[in-house]
Formats: sequence, structure tokens, C-alpha cells
Amino acid sequence: MSNQAIVVEDLVKTFKGDVKAVQGISFEVEDGEFFAFLGPNGAGKSTTIQVLTTLLNPTSGSVTVSGFDVGKDPISIRREIGVALQETGIDPSLTGRELLEMQARLFGFSKHDAKNRAQELLDLIHLAEDGDRKVGKYSGGMRRRLDLSLCLVHRPKILFLDEPTTGLDPYNRNAIWDEIRTLNREFGTTIFLTTQYLEEADQLADRISIINKGKIVASGSSQQLKKTVGMDVIDLSFQQNEDAEKAKEVLSSWTKDYRLTNGELTLYVDNGAYLLPDMVRKLDKEGIPPISLNLAPPTLDDVFLQVTGEHLEEKAVIKQEGVVSP
Amino acid sequence: MNQRSNFIIDTYLMTKRSTIAIFRNPFIFIPNIMISLFFLLVYQAGLSGISNIPAFEGASYLAFILPVSIVSGAIGGSGGAGQSLVRDLENGYFSRLLLTPTSRVAIVLGPIIAGMIQLFIQTVLILLVGLWMGLDIAAGFGGAVVVILLAAGFGLAFAGYSVGFALRTKDAQASQAGTFVFFPLVFLSTTFVPYELIEADWLKFVSKINPTTYVFDGMRSVLINGWEAQPLIYAAIVIIIICSITITFASLSAKRAVNRD
Ligand SMILES: Nc1ncnc2c1ncn2[C@@H]1O[C@H](COP(=O)(O)OP(=O)(O)OP(=O)(O)O)[C@@H](O)[C@H]1O
Ligand SMILES: [Mg+2]
Repeated sequence: MSNQAIVVEDLVKTFKGDVKAVQGISFEVEDGEFFAFLGPNGAGKSTTIQVLTTLLNPTSGSVTVSGFDVGKDPISIRREIGVALQETGIDPSLTGRELLEMQARLFGFSKHDAKNRAQELLDLIHLAEDGDRKVGKYSGGMRRRLDLSLCLVHRPKILFLDEPTTGLDPYNRNAIWDEIRTLNREFGTTIFLTTQYLEEADQLADRISIINKGKIVASGSSQQLKKTVGMDVIDLSFQQNEDAEKAKEVLSSWTKDYRLTNGELTLYVDNGAYLLPDMVRKLDKEGIPPISLNLAPPTLDDVFLQVTGEHLEEKAVIKQEGVVSP
Repeated sequence: MNQRSNFIIDTYLMTKRSTIAIFRNPFIFIPNIMISLFFLLVYQAGLSGISNIPAFEGASYLAFILPVSIVSGAIGGSGGAGQSLVRDLENGYFSRLLLTPTSRVAIVLGPIIAGMIQLFIQTVLILLVGLWMGLDIAAGFGGAVVVILLAAGFGLAFAGYSVGFALRTKDAQASQAGTFVFFPLVFLSTTFVPYELIEADWLKFVSKINPTTYVFDGMRSVLINGWEAQPLIYAAIVIIIICSITITFASLSAKRAVNRD
């Protein structure tokens, strides 16, 4: 069989009312690869996952998962994949153990095997003690972990995870990261993950596609993507928009590329550490000293900014590392 | 593997799950039983005197009102099937089930069968309370079985309606609102008095076209008169007709709900 876990060609998904959620995307994911879709709200991540996991039919284009066509053989695909959708899918009146056993039985496990598998998974996600409580009483993090374990019951070859850590605290987020990293590295599970978090894509994925407004705007490993940006990124913020405008004029000869977003000037330069002092001196002389500045190697946000002209996350979140005061 | 045994296992699992959910949430079935028993006790206590009127032909009012209690319980019990599917849709469990190789039919059938189990237990309970209150079933044990069968048939029709409505609206409030047909169905009929005693012409007319009337008639015939063919045949025909309609409606809505476009 092919060694491509997922092959997508020219996938288009249009909803009623002419909502063009996915507008012609193509990509491939190899067996055993950890692949991430990185994109903001409404980019089309969940829609893509729902098409790939047989919940939605493509409007046009072809999608093959584990060698089966989504339109022709959805049942074969369902046996090979595990899916954690963005919203957890849990019946709150059952206990964690009952849900896991039910899931195993629905995938054809015998009663006995289903019991064992449920216990194994409860141990794995550290929910053994709460296994016999109603899921309705679980905390958000416990639900997420249970939801994730539900999609592992039948030991799927390919895992689809739609924003698995959104809204979780760092403890639960790290627990899930460890979990899926182990699945990928030790069990060779192919992983397709979507996220809005740069760090998540950066830390986990072998390869990333950046998706925005239904289109893939950049693809590659985290390193490759960052290289496309250039060497260094300098962020300068100013009191007023006009100051940023003026600073852009003043500094234009030193930069390869720039972006201007409300009072913030982002410069892409070859040798940031060398240029920065001169730049600051020059701005001072012009009477427009920056109120804060930051020099860093490029992040995925810079990649995103460069290909879309917008930031992926709030500036405040990203600017935590390497702040240099003037 | 063989398709049929998978389908049976799937249906069994889905039914088991819904049954657990019903009995773990006493708020789902206790109020329903309460309302049924309330009808039985209160109407019997308050209205039984009117059975002295000749139009009742000497029937006990208890036997006359018992079908109202049973039918209202049946409607409530089977209406739960739709509610439970709406809950599945809202908490995402429906999608989780769709992502398994489980038969789509089993996913919808499970709550319906669970609703029927609930209905069966309720009907038996009401009959037992009736017997305890002094009910004398003219057609004997077989008559009790007929009452249960008619309740199940009518309940199935209502389950089809509630499931169809739930899957179409996918919304808890809307499908809750849908169960309000309960009132015209139960009360615009020969609910409290025989047809001959209904005053208003419009109510006479509505009770003629209300399928519930024929279910009441069928049940009353075995409870009060013994074995009579005509009311039972009418009741059976009416149930078959409304079941075909509502179950078709449910299947069409189900198809739409799992439709992937
Ligand atoms: N069932 C639907 N019917 C109509 N429009 C839809 C439907 N599902 C999604 N959309 C629209 O398609 C677009 C893409 O949505 P999608 O859920 O795929 O985005 P996303 O990348 O998952 O976003 P988020 O990060 O917020 O989850 C949005 O404009 C959304 O409103
Ligand atoms: Mg989404």
C-alpha cells in the first residue's frame, strides 16, 4: 500500500449560503508524520478535518485517507482513524469507563477485551480513580483527556486532533502534548493536528501548513518556514501611528522588508544585533524614540505576518521572550 | 464480518446506552409517571360520579379513564427518544458515534427502543395501580396485553414524530416545543366522556379525526366490554397509518442529519 497517510488534492468545501470554508487546498501527509494545520479562527481547519474524517462530503477535489477515498469508502476510513473534534463528544450520563467500553464495543472488541482496553486507557490518562464517576462531573481538562483517550480505543493508525489544547491550563496542555508526542514517536501514529497556537505547531509538528481564509499560504518544517522570513525580526512600537510611519521612512534603507500594524513597526533585517543600536540612535535623533523594542529570531507569527499581513496571535502573548529595553 | 450480527450488536449497545441514560436521570421518567398517575387518581376521584349517566352504559369510570393515563404516559415516554437525540447532538456524542463504523440506523434506533422499554414499564405500572384501585379487565389477561400493545404502537408513532422533529430542528427548545402536540392529542378526544356526551360540534369533529380517539376506543373495549373485533381493528389500522407516517418522517430527518453536504 501507499506510504501516504493522507492525500488531498484541490479540496473545496462550500456550505449553504455560499460560504467558501475551504477554497482549493492540496497537501500530503506521510505515514508516521506529525503534521499541523496552523491558522486563525474561521480559517477552515475544522471544516478540513470534518471532510478528512468522513463527516462532511467535499464539494470538489479528491481526498484519500489511508488509501481509501472519503466518498467511496468512508467505513474503511473510520476503522483506521481516531478523531478528537474541536468540541468534545461525550455523553455526560455515562461514566468514563462505560464510555470507553462502549467505544471499544462499537469498534468490534469483545466484552472482555473492551473492559481491559478501558482500564488500560484510564491508567494512561491518569483517570483510573475517576473512571467510575459520571463524566458530567468531570472538569474541563479531565473531559479533554477522556475525549482524547476515546479516539485511541481502537489503536488507530492516523489521529486527527482539532485544537486539542484550546482553553486548557498549562498542566493539562503539557499532559496532552506528551501524550500525542509519545503516540507519534513510539507507536508511529500519523498525526494531523490543528491549532491556533504557534508554540504548539512549533514544538510538536514535523511539518506545518499555514491556513488562512480557506487557503494554504505556506508549508514546510518550522525551520524552513522561519528561514523564508529572513534572519532577524525587530519589533518597534511607538506612541502614535504617525511616528511608526515616519520611523519606517527613516529606517527603510536598512531593512529587507517591513510590516506596519497600528503603531507597531516590524522590520526584517539580516543582522539585527548589529543594526539595532544604530537604528535606535537614528530614531532618537529624529525625535521618535520607540516606546518598546524587541529583537528576536523569526517566529511562526512572523511567517504568518509576512504571508497574510496580519498577526496570528495577540502581540502581547508573543512578546514574552527576549525583550530589549532601549 | 457478517453485517446482520454487527447491526444487532450495534443496536443492542445503542439501546443499552440510552436505557442507562434514562434510568440514571430520574428527572426524565419520574415526572412522566407522576403525570400519568395524577390523571388516573385525580380524574377517578373527581369525575367517577358521571359514569352513572346512561351514555356510559354502566362502565366503571376507572376503566374509562385508565387509557387516558396510559396514553399520556406513552406519549411522554416515547417523546424522550427525541429529547435524548437532541442531547446527543448538543453534547457532540452524536458526531462521536458517526465517527465509528456503527450502523447509522442503530444510532437512531437505540433511543427509540429505550423509550419503548420505558413505556412498557410505565404501562405495566399504571395497569397494576389500576388493578389495585379495583379495575376489573373485561377481556382478562389478554386484554391487558392488548392495552400494552396499543400503548406501544401509539408510543412508537409518537417516538417517530419526536425523533424526526429533534433531528430536523437539532435544538432542545424547539423539540421541547414539538412535544406540545401532546395536549391536542390527548385532550381533543373522548378523553373524559364518551363521544355521545361531547357538547361542541367542533370537538366532536376533531375527536373523530384525532387518532388518539381510536386508541382510547380500542383500549376501552377490552377493559370494559371484553373481546370486540371492530374497535381493535380500527385502533390497529390507525396505529399502522400514523406509524408509517411518523417513521418515514423520522427516517427522512435522520438521513438529513447524517447527510454530509
Ligand atoms: N456547517 C456550516 N455551515 C455554514 N458555514 C460553516 C459551517 N461550518 C463552518 N462554516 C464556516 O466556514 C468557515 C470555516 O470554519 P471552520 O470551522 O472550518 O474554521 P476553523 O479554522 O476551524 O476556526 P476555529 O479556529 O474558530 O475553530 C467559517 O467562516 C465558518 O463560519
Ligand atoms: Mg475549528
